[in-house]
Amino acid sequence: MLYLVGLGLSDVKDITVRGLEVVKGAKRVYLEAYTSILMAADVSSLEEFYGREVIVADRELVESGSDQILEGAGKDDIVMLVVGDPFGATTHTDLMLRARELEIKTDVVHNASVMNAVGACGVQLYNFGQTVSLVFFTENWRPDSFYDKIMENRRLGLHTLLLLDIKVKEQSLENMARGRLIYEPPRYMDIRTAAEQLLEIEEKREEKCYTPETPCIAISRLGSPTQKFAAATLAEMAEYDSGEPLHSLVILGNRIHELESDYFMQWAINESTLKSALVEDGKLHK
Amino acid sequence: MVNALAVDQIRALMDRVTNVRNMSVIAHVDHGKSTLTDSLVQRAGIISAAKAGEARFTDTRKDEQERGITIKSTAISLYSTLPEDDVKEIKQKTEGNEFLINLIDSPGHVDFSSEVTAALRVTDGALVVVDTIDGVCVQTETVLRQALTERIKPVVCINKVDRALLELQTTKEDLYQTFARTVESVNVVIATYIDEALGDVMVYPERGTVAFASALQGWAFTIRQFAIRYAKRFGVDRDKMMTRLWGDSFFNPKTKKWTKSEKDADGQPLERAFNMFILDPIFRIFSAVMNSRKEEINTLLEKLEISLKADERDLEGKALLKTVMRKFLPAADALLEMIVIHLPSPVTAQFYRADTLYEGPHDDAAFNGIKNCDPKAELMLYVSKMVPTSDKGRFYAFGRVFSGTVRSGQKVRIQGPNYVPGKKEDLFVKNIQRTVLMMGRTVESIDDCPAGNIVGLVGVDQFLLKSGTLTTMEDAHNMKVMKFSVSPVVQVAVEVKNANDLPKLVEGLKRLSKSDPLVQTYMSESGEHIVACTGELHLEICLKDLEEDHAGIPLRVSPPVVSYRETVEAESSMTALSKSPNKHNRIYLKAEPIDEELSLAIEKGVVNARDDFKARARLMADEFGWDVSDARKIWCFGPDGTGPNLVVDQTKAVQYLNEIKDSVVSAFQWATREGPIFGEHMRSVRVNLMDVTLHPDAIHRGGGQLIPTMRRATYAAVLLAEPRIQEPIFMVEIQCRESGIGGIYSVLNKKRGQVISEVQRPGTPMFNIKAYLPVNESFGFTGDLRQATGGQAFPQMVFDHWQTMGGDPLDPASKPGAIVVEARKRRGMKENVPGYEEYYDRL
Repeated sequence: MLYLVGLGLSDVKDITVRGLEVVKGAKRVYLEAYTSILMAADVSSLEEFYGREVIVADRELVESGSDQILEGAGKDDIVMLVVGDPFGATTHTDLMLRARELEIKTDVVHNASVMNAVGACGVQLYNFGQTVSLVFFTENWRPDSFYDKIMENRRLGLHTLLLLDIKVKEQSLENMARGRLIYEPPRYMDIRTAAEQLLEIEEKREEKCYTPETPCIAISRLGSPTQKFAAATLAEMAEYDSGEPLHSLVILGNRIHELESDYFMQWAINESTLKSALVEDGKLHK
Repeated sequence: MVNALAVDQIRALMDRVTNVRNMSVIAHVDHGKSTLTDSLVQRAGIISAAKAGEARFTDTRKDEQERGITIKSTAISLYSTLPEDDVKEIKQKTEGNEFLINLIDSPGHVDFSSEVTAALRVTDGALVVVDTIDGVCVQTETVLRQALTERIKPVVCINKVDRALLELQTTKEDLYQTFARTVESVNVVIATYIDEALGDVMVYPERGTVAFASALQGWAFTIRQFAIRYAKRFGVDRDKMMTRLWGDSFFNPKTKKWTKSEKDADGQPLERAFNMFILDPIFRIFSAVMNSRKEEINTLLEKLEISLKADERDLEGKALLKTVMRKFLPAADALLEMIVIHLPSPVTAQFYRADTLYEGPHDDAAFNGIKNCDPKAELMLYVSKMVPTSDKGRFYAFGRVFSGTVRSGQKVRIQGPNYVPGKKEDLFVKNIQRTVLMMGRTVESIDDCPAGNIVGLVGVDQFLLKSGTLTTMEDAHNMKVMKFSVSPVVQVAVEVKNANDLPKLVEGLKRLSKSDPLVQTYMSESGEHIVACTGELHLEICLKDLEEDHAGIPLRVSPPVVSYRETVEAESSMTALSKSPNKHNRIYLKAEPIDEELSLAIEKGVVNARDDFKARARLMADEFGWDVSDARKIWCFGPDGTGPNLVVDQTKAVQYLNEIKDSVVSAFQWATREGPIFGEHMRSVRVNLMDVTLHPDAIHRGGGQLIPTMRRATYAAVLLAEPRIQEPIFMVEIQCRESGIGGIYSVLNKKRGQVISEVQRPGTPMFNIKAYLPVNESFGFTGDLRQATGGQAFPQMVFDHWQTMGGDPLDPASKPGAIVVEARKRRGMKENVPGYEEYYDRL
């Protein structure tokens, strides 16, 4: 049996009871360690808590070494630990497909993910549109297709959750082209960079999808003891020091319920500008 | 050596650009360029008259002097004045009668023709030297072609006339015919490669654009000089006299009439005017001196108004001949005059060269600065090569100011060949430490150097690999990158004998790469240090320099190997599909061959990655039968962004496609640099992007996902399209006497050579054989040939083309298969070429 077990957001103890039982009884346990990171735990603290060995699976192993992971899964239990919820991102469907091809049974133990825990910022989950991720721009690669998706959300008055790029173990382009397995130091996008990139694309496209005055909510270290929120305009976000990773950003839609604004107003960097921004931005996609 | 005054004079002349001539001396190997150059240098007072003919002033390296061949091109500045009368004949703007000639002597051996390319770029005119007996040879043609494509105006010097007189003992009419034939063959080459912007650049003895010389004896003449002598005597003007002294023009001494027919009214043969008035005195001097007829010598000297000093009167034989001829027809006078009158000044030349020199728009400030050769415009300077300084590991950047003025201490943008306007890659902004005048073996500091002049720069070498553009203009494009006529197809791996020396080797390789315009040094995938050269001689010189100079350590060198190319013969038998590692992105490709004509055009830069895509598409449609809309959808060239492999977008309405273009381009560079068969460059492969499936979110289709996928898909597509390998072929030209021909054929046969032509050079016992020879078989060819012909035959080999080898390279039993297996073993790869399945993902 192949189990995909969600680890939740932050702490070693965020694992569910059923998840813990599966882990304890499994033959091998892998930790997928590149699509996200556990903020308040690492491999050794996980091993200590589970009382067993945990194998770190990097991108190469998950994407190219699935046979190795699935070896023996026909009769033994193999566990893949995934930060957040196993289906929070689409990355793991391939592993499930491969298991199915090999006629290996699969099971999933769910957990909290940013996709649902984002509700903590005070806006209703029902009112979110498509989620987009924002990648680190490079000299030549500045993809802006997310802009169209935000536009679609905004036209419907929906909020947009932006997942910010993390590069846990990536090769530089040169090393990749040369096929060298040399990795860059990890990088995590902060709120400031995200806001700057968003504004850059708005300046380029000029379609008024959002403006520097568009209200946003910055979510930092969600689910950890140091979790922090901030509500401000995009322009203010470009100046905002968000601290340690991880971060996400919500661009608000203009169909804001009063309860929503009452709730997030407590984190306003500047309440009066935020209030007037809410009014002004509300006129944008009418 | 030059004194301070001369440097001042030269610097002052640099400001009068109309009176500057930048010229290269180009020729086939051993036709006497360096010796000829010496006779010019002699005139500038740098070496004494007595030594001209032996000194080879421009051969500054020890091995050049020993071997008697030029390896590196060398620049010198010469100063000359012209009589007022002559100045009038200059048909371009001039100022006064003082002239500055910047002369670059370049190597004649084909292995070093990249030096010629670098020399031509900074000059406007070329003195093409041709041996009277050998005539126009393969390298004469090559350099002439290079000159014309760079829009360089040629004048010709037919050299070694003394050999014809002394060794072959020809008659006057035979000699005239030889000259005429040589002029004609030069003009045939010119007609073939003519660029309309240059106007009529054919050479005509009767217009003074052809000189006849013996560089060794230090004499030369053009028809013009004799015309001046005779114009007075016959009372006609010079121009008229010049046309009378060449071609079918005869003089009847009885009637004192000029005629076009070679017989007089009575049917008696007349002597050709050229023979009668020009060759006759020369023949008489030769005959009198070589036969020691004192009386006759004295009469002749008196008649020709030549006076000898007392000690010179005692000379005999060749020494006397040299002295007399040198006084009669001083080489420098004839040549300098020809250069100054007929070669263009930078002002004249840059006006028509600007189009081909500048990559940017033809209306920006940089372009106008170049076109007008304006010393007050923004600086545009092209560095064409690096010259080692006495300070080990440091180089002078050698180049030409095309616009503006370069100064010591000036802050400039240093743009390498890969610089793209608006980007920061391959760009440095630095100060120039010093500007210098390059004078053969010495350099002289100058404060600044205005447009139109050739200059050396100190302090730029760290920021440029081999060549590049220097400018003060923020948004200036690059000057056009030089295209070389030869390719580094012969390579060796070098390793240190003593492991501790490795850092010295690495540094030495860097220096070697800088010091030569063409040599390539790199580390292979398996960690070997590779040195790639154009031929055996080039390789020998480079390795010697590396061992003795640049690295200064003992080296072990592998046997030379040839570089190959990987190509395809057909369209992929099915669409190649590869999935990204996360499986959310899929690339569908098909490979097909590119026509050889188009590949050649890409390699020559006629079809260029940097051209405007619409103009390029038009050209590809008109000249190479491409579909215009296909040609407009070329995503990139590869490898290195310029090579003869293309990615063409054939997809229809794929969302986010432009967001993966960058990854596809990078991957293609990688894939074409190291092909699937044995890691050689690909060539003539067109890859059609049929379709792609992409994850909607950018984070799941970054470079990490797409680059490996595109590479795998390219490999699969190539392996599905009848992959083949191409081997490099040399064109070999061999000259020898009839007795040697048998030996040549037998050596060529043994080496898979293929004779294309065998011609006897009219009027000489020499045969000229041209053949194709695989580079792979060329090692030791020169030695074998000498042995088989008793040392008579000397081959010139130059890379000619890539030849697809018959047979499946994936089958180890075939000839190409054997080459592939051996190369894979050497590189530490698995012996068998992986099949397409390795790179292909099932749906």
